[in-house]
Amino acid sequence: MGENLKWLWAAFGIGWALHVLYVFLLASRQKSLRNEMRQLRAQLEERDHDGGEPLLG
Amino acid sequence: MRSQADPYASDAVPPWLALITGAMVVAMLYLTFVWVPMEASMGVVQRIFYFHVPSAFVAFTAFTIGGVASIRFLARRESRFDDLSVSANEVGLLFAIVNLVTGSLWAKPIWGVWWAWDARLTTMLLLALIYVAYLILRQSVVEPTQRAVVCAVVSIFGMVDIPIVYMANQWWRTQHPAPVLSGEGSLDPRMRFVLYFSFAALLFVFWCLVRMRRRIEHIRRDMDALRREVHAL
Repeated sequence: MGENLKWLWAAFGIGWALHVLYVFLLASRQKSLRNEMRQLRAQLEERDHDGGEPLLG
Repeated sequence: MRSQADPYASDAVPPWLALITGAMVVAMLYLTFVWVPMEASMGVVQRIFYFHVPSAFVAFTAFTIGGVASIRFLARRESRFDDLSVSANEVGLLFAIVNLVTGSLWAKPIWGVWWAWDARLTTMLLLALIYVAYLILRQSVVEPTQRAVVCAVVSIFGMVDIPIVYMANQWWRTQHPAPVLSGEGSLDPRMRFVLYFSFAALLFVFWCLVRMRRRIEHIRRDMDALRREVHAL
């Protein structure tokens, strides 16, 4: 039983670790998207303060 | 209209859902490790069954939701269906990978090998690879409408593969056991209960993950619009 128990622990351990890893991946993607969005909003606000002059080019 | 405080609050996992999901997962682990009777021939390692099989069920459910959402997207061209499709498919792929990994960890002590190229295992691997291709395709097509249409077609193609995976061990000779729920195999009522309970618990996990993933898709969509606005100036 002891010999086989390690396979059971490994299956549940790795399986749930993959879930946790995915949650961290989602959180990290969300954080990076929000940061990028903040930067874009700042660019737009900057353009509004400059009286509508083009930002790019 | 979204609130100013957090425009994506409606996509968040509500506390009651997180609470139910956590309780279900704890109960699932208790039932699997403590409550369910020991299987006579395989012993303790058979308990992988209560994670391995429900993970496959959830993956099939996810890919079906993704496929149906894709059909609705192609019919109505509403972005919310594309958001649901990509979210369900990506989370479904996670469950398919868990199914393959736990299956391999079950096969090693029972069959003596990590992997066998038999029909059930190979078709399940192919199903997972279809969704890996789906996600790669999603990254590589830039134009949003074209991306959604192409990915919807792949998603529908993946959904069609599900019955082939399910029926593989009836249509071809395989090492993989026959279906215990609908086949000739009999399952102890307590084992059947734990199997269904684990499926329900993992469905709650799936629901939480899809909400989290869909939130990212909404942020990305809004950001694409914002980016177009910035570049248009």
